[in-house]
Amino acid sequence: MKEDMPTVISVKNLHKSFKLPTERAGGLKQAIFNRLKGIKGYKEQKVLNGINFDIKKNEFVGIVGRNGSGKSTLLKTLAKIYFPEKGSVEIDGTLIPFIELGVGFNPDLSGRENVYLNGALLGFSNKEMDAMYDEIVDFAELRPFMDQKLKNFSSGMQVRLAFSIAIRAKGDILLLDEVLAVGDAEFQKKCTDYFAAIKGNQTVILVTHDMGNVRNFCTRAILIEEGKVKLDSTPNKVADAYEKLWN
Amino acid sequence: MAIPNFLCKNNRVLLKELTKTDFKLRYQGSVLGYFWALLRPLMMFAILYIVFAKLLRFGSDIPHYPVYLLVGTTLWSFFTECTNQGIQAIIQRGELIRKICFPKYIVVVSATLTAVINLLINLVVVIIFALINGVTPSPMWLIVPALILELYMLALGISFLLGAVNVKYRDITSIWDVLVQALFYAVPIIYPITMIAESSPTAAKVILLNPISQIVQDIRYCLITDQTITTWSYVGEERFFWKFIPIAIVIIILIWGSWYFRKKSKKFAEEI
Repeated sequence: MKEDMPTVISVKNLHKSFKLPTERAGGLKQAIFNRLKGIKGYKEQKVLNGINFDIKKNEFVGIVGRNGSGKSTLLKTLAKIYFPEKGSVEIDGTLIPFIELGVGFNPDLSGRENVYLNGALLGFSNKEMDAMYDEIVDFAELRPFMDQKLKNFSSGMQVRLAFSIAIRAKGDILLLDEVLAVGDAEFQKKCTDYFAAIKGNQTVILVTHDMGNVRNFCTRAILIEEGKVKLDSTPNKVADAYEKLWN
Repeated sequence: MAIPNFLCKNNRVLLKELTKTDFKLRYQGSVLGYFWALLRPLMMFAILYIVFAKLLRFGSDIPHYPVYLLVGTTLWSFFTECTNQGIQAIIQRGELIRKICFPKYIVVVSATLTAVINLLINLVVVIIFALINGVTPSPMWLIVPALILELYMLALGISFLLGAVNVKYRDITSIWDVLVQALFYAVPIIYPITMIAESSPTAAKVILLNPISQIVQDIRYCLITDQTITTWSYVGEERFFWKFIPIAIVIIILIWGSWYFRKKSKKFAEEI
């Protein structure tokens, strides 16, 4: 059945490297100095080294790997925050990226204003946000607090609000970077229920270190190692391989 | 490409939300709130007025000199606020740029729009002040918005250009601070241009080739008195095209700034 679904993300031979400054090269003086001395002032660091994969509609894909293996860079390239150095990323549909929860949240604005600001940053008009607003607030269970300033929210409440925007925002593809373990036990239960419900109905890419989540929610998983796809298989096989990395 | 992009609905919504936030948060926590948007330039004007008009007796030969001075300081405040906010914008919004993909120019435009709103509020004060001072309204006033647009284009161009450089070389902020200080004395804000023209017509012509001088003098001409020396009337008697140098500078800076910003903006997320 899955084979019939159209491909929504196509990553081909993706390369990305960063220039890491060797000495403090953040000033004009140092830049001129380095140029005069013929020092490059940075070191190339290869982060992505030829990544290939396709993701079909309604797949729930877990991306796993050690720290520094290139997961987040990959995600940021998918979200078009970084430009690919070589290779290509093709995306069909609207992609809602959550590299971090509550991007642009401002402590001096009210909860309501923050929801609309966050929505605008994700590309939603005020009208579209009006339609989603009630659902977001109900999911976060924060209705009585929405007119208070965000700085008066507890940190758990802030994360709950941000997370609710993330999963209630109506996009074709959802991109989540390690954002699952939020809120108290009851809210976590609500989130796991929600993920179980959308599994198979929504395209999701999830970066996580929690193999329990991979096994429970994902329909497919990809293990990234040193900027390459090491294993692209079923969640159980990938989770096993990930756990073996340290043995 | 940039123009249809600008008209796109999502970008407009984002621009509106960011500008609203900037403006709302600017004076938060202060007792007088938005009042400061009015009070600050008025106080700056009061200081300059006492020092230059009263103590040093500048501009005693110019009709409505206080209005003349207020127009200058108001436009100057706008220019400095606009460029300072614009140049800092990308860095201040670095958190957003690293986490989400959206057209970067929106950040710069929203930061400068706050200065535009402040200018519009201040212009109301200028008009009231002018009327109290006995300046008679004329159809020439209708040209003023076009001149303000020219000043905004200049400030925006500088913001794009230096804002893009500032991402990598933070020295730009300090350099611009000093440059603005120097520029303040290179344009006829506090001193009347007639003072320079009397001793050295060439120096006055050079000063009037600066777009800021041209705009300030033109606005004074339209708003207050046709006795004002303008670039149009004073420069380029032999070579006509000299009259167009200020506007050419504005257009070149805006196009160059936008082009450079666009080119560099792809890497902002990595470099901030």
